[in-house]
Amino acid sequence: MKTKYFKILTIGLILIIICLFFILKLYNKPFIDIKNSKARIEVTVENILFEFQSNERLASEKYVDNLILIKGEIADISISNGNTIITLKDKNDISSVICQMLAEDNLNALKLEKGDEIIIKGICTGYLLDIMMVRCILTKDNF
Amino acid sequence: MNKAFIVILFLVSIQLFSQEKYLTKEGYISFFSHSLVEDIKADNYQVLSVIDTKTGEIGVQLLMKSFMFKKALMQEHFNESYIESYKYPKATLKGYIINFNELDAQNTTVEIKGVLSIHGVEKEMTALAKIEVLKDQINLSGTFMVEVADFNINIPTIVRNNIAKTIKVTFDLQHKPYK
Repeated sequence: MKTKYFKILTIGLILIIICLFFILKLYNKPFIDIKNSKARIEVTVENILFEFQSNERLASEKYVDNLILIKGEIADISISNGNTIITLKDKNDISSVICQMLAEDNLNALKLEKGDEIIIKGICTGYLLDIMMVRCILTKDNF
Repeated sequence: MNKAFIVILFLVSIQLFSQEKYLTKEGYISFFSHSLVEDIKADNYQVLSVIDTKTGEIGVQLLMKSFMFKKALMQEHFNESYIESYKYPKATLKGYIINFNELDAQNTTVEIKGVLSIHGVEKEMTALAKIEVLKDQINLSGTFMVEVADFNINIPTIVRNNIAKTIKVTFDLQHKPYK
């Protein structure tokens, strides 16, 4: 009888430990690995701005929350609250693409200058007056 | 009204009266929820804010997806289950800074009154802010509280104890003249 209870208790404990393991794993689920993930879409600054300005709803469905590669010219590099911000601009447009870089690329961003043509990989979060990108990195094609 | 038309109207109005507009596209807003189970904080460094120095009007707009959390799961739940970012991607504040034109050097605390729109629900609000009017910069910073229930945000019973009923919002907006 004692052995039976012991077996039930052991199985119960193992099940609880397995459940806790999966709950903890889910709770600590990592963010997408930008560096090692393949971008779903490649686009130029001119084209993505055109798409958002023509139809924000359709462009949002296509780009928002997706990992994308954007090619364009640097209009500005700034540091705000410890984050490097690279602004890519289309010369003929009032709007731009504002890319908030991951901290790991802060040093690489400092090697760049205004006017450089670069490719940035990151996640698009939408459009205000400008297209917003977060968790951005510079691809190795830039160096 | 068509969204593209509103954006164009906004751009045109900024251009027409650019000398009176101060703007930031890299403003900071965070929110903080404290509960016995866990603390949740998210930061947004991509806030658009415009002040019209002639009228004291202020307009703030941000993307919900630009809020960065410490944990991916929190960010996922916030966007997909609670705030429904795919349906309501932006939050806005349209209001004015009371007695903006009567500010003097000693007057560093102002009251902002306006309508806050989150999750498709509009709610009148007031907030106190520290203001710094410099030669080429207007800084606004402060905190205010938001009741989750006011904005029709559904929190599932199972995680109700993880999220505070009142959320603390912190802002730091450093506006520059719009050129």
